[in-house]
Amino acid sequence: MNTNHLRRFGALAVLFSAVSIAGAAPAIIANKSIEKEKIDASSLKAVLLGKKVAWDTGGRAILAVLKSGPVADEFLKGAVDMSSSSFNNYWRRLAMTGGGSAPHVFEKDEELRKYVADTPGAIGFVDSANVDASVAVITLAP
Amino acid sequence: MRYSRLKITALATFCVLSGVSRGAIAIGNSNVQIGGFFSQGYLYSNNNNLPTQDVGGTWDFREAAFNVTDTIGAHLRVGGQVFEQRFGNIGGDKMILDWAIADYNFASWFGIRAGRVKYPKGLYGEALDLDVVRPFVLLPEAVYSPILRDFTASFDGGMVYGSVNALKGSFDYKIFAGNIPINPEKGVADFYNDGGGLFAGNGATALKMDSVKGAQLVYNTPVSGLKIVGSYSYFTNLQASGPFSGYPPVALETNLPKFSWLTYSAEYSVGDWVFAAEWQRTGGDLFLAAAPIGFAASEFIGWDGWYVAASRRIGEKFQVGAYYGDNQVRTGYRSSNPGDYQHDSALSLRYDLNDHVIFKIEGHYFNGTYETFNTVRISNPNPKPNTTVFAVKTTISF
Repeated sequence: MNTNHLRRFGALAVLFSAVSIAGAAPAIIANKSIEKEKIDASSLKAVLLGKKVAWDTGGRAILAVLKSGPVADEFLKGAVDMSSSSFNNYWRRLAMTGGGSAPHVFEKDEELRKYVADTPGAIGFVDSANVDASVAVITLAP
Repeated sequence: MRYSRLKITALATFCVLSGVSRGAIAIGNSNVQIGGFFSQGYLYSNNNNLPTQDVGGTWDFREAAFNVTDTIGAHLRVGGQVFEQRFGNIGGDKMILDWAIADYNFASWFGIRAGRVKYPKGLYGEALDLDVVRPFVLLPEAVYSPILRDFTASFDGGMVYGSVNALKGSFDYKIFAGNIPINPEKGVADFYNDGGGLFAGNGATALKMDSVKGAQLVYNTPVSGLKIVGSYSYFTNLQASGPFSGYPPVALETNLPKFSWLTYSAEYSVGDWVFAAEWQRTGGDLFLAAAPIGFAASEFIGWDGWYVAASRRIGEKFQVGAYYGDNQVRTGYRSSNPGDYQHDSALSLRYDLNDHVIFKIEGHYFNGTYETFNTVRISNPNPKPNTTVFAVKTTISF
């Protein structure tokens, strides 16, 4: 991971922590079953790309993503250095060739948040303004 | 056309009614996901039947696939996909098992996949049929011969794979071994039957191979959007037999003790642009024998192919792409015989109606007649040195 990536992830971590900031700042949210999981930028990227399928604390990592929009664009650019379109193609390719189980995709923050709250092992991202107590907010470990 | 309007309408309706997806649809709250696609195209060529029987135009250009995947516990995933194809006189709309795997991912750096596994080769070897991930109707033939699709798409065996961070980027590796079930109905038979030089009549009557082994290494470089790929694989004892063209009452046996594929690839995505380039070298010694008449011979066969491609997304709906490919018989020199080379210039336009329906239109200008087959299924008794190919295709995926 190069310096730019570290800088970008550092900036994202600050953004993710500052949930009170208004606007389209992405926040990583997770089911409370994995709130003790140590997640850093590298492991988050591995989960997002389907390379890491299980949490170190147990259970399957289940990915939930927003279909599109500025929050998705900003989050995916920072976390996996891809546009929404590239991420979409990446997963279409994996899912259609036996390479992985596709992420669960949602149109709205509220739907994604509810899915993550109800699904053990689930992790996703929403606008920080739409986080509530039903999910754990993940701050990336250094 | 075997596909009825009803089938297509039902599939289209299903795609419209289904939820958004990134290549699969979850079934309720279970871990089961389904996915698939259907495509129908039209191919026209003005001179030679290239890449298939299409002089004057044909609708025999379609594919369909349906897959199911499930996860069991934290690490195990199982799934499979059926696939059917009609590509001129190849495929015949027969349903085949494209992939069927059990995958146990121990950690990001190590997993095992077994069953019928997609064959990693170059940038797009595992995704030959996925129209949705590229702007082109036909992948560059210099590296991805559509005639070989049913032969190089997957293998029966096992693979270990993983990803490790290194050199400020990451390396994804795959190491695999197995074999590929083949028979004379598959497109690969046309390589043996071309020109009737080896086998008489309808060509080879039996094909088999011992094994395929190989590895692929992908370097996701620290340069944003740049990846470099190296792929190597080889077949052992790829054998064909049938009536000898020189003396049809006796059988000719051929064997390629080792036939190798070496591919170097690079892909660079920056902004709305994607640039790709690949170079591939194949080769092996072919041994021929017609024992009853004491005939025995051998010759080296192989080719060098490469292409450069660029595409650009224009807004959310359009993507344009172009490539130039060059395929040469490995003669040891730059042959000027049109039968020894194929130059392919292509220009494509893709339109995304929505997440599930895409349209493509593409033009090709081919110079040279290498891999312009003359067989029972693809007839070119008097190939011309230049051919223009026109292709349109629509794909519905879910």
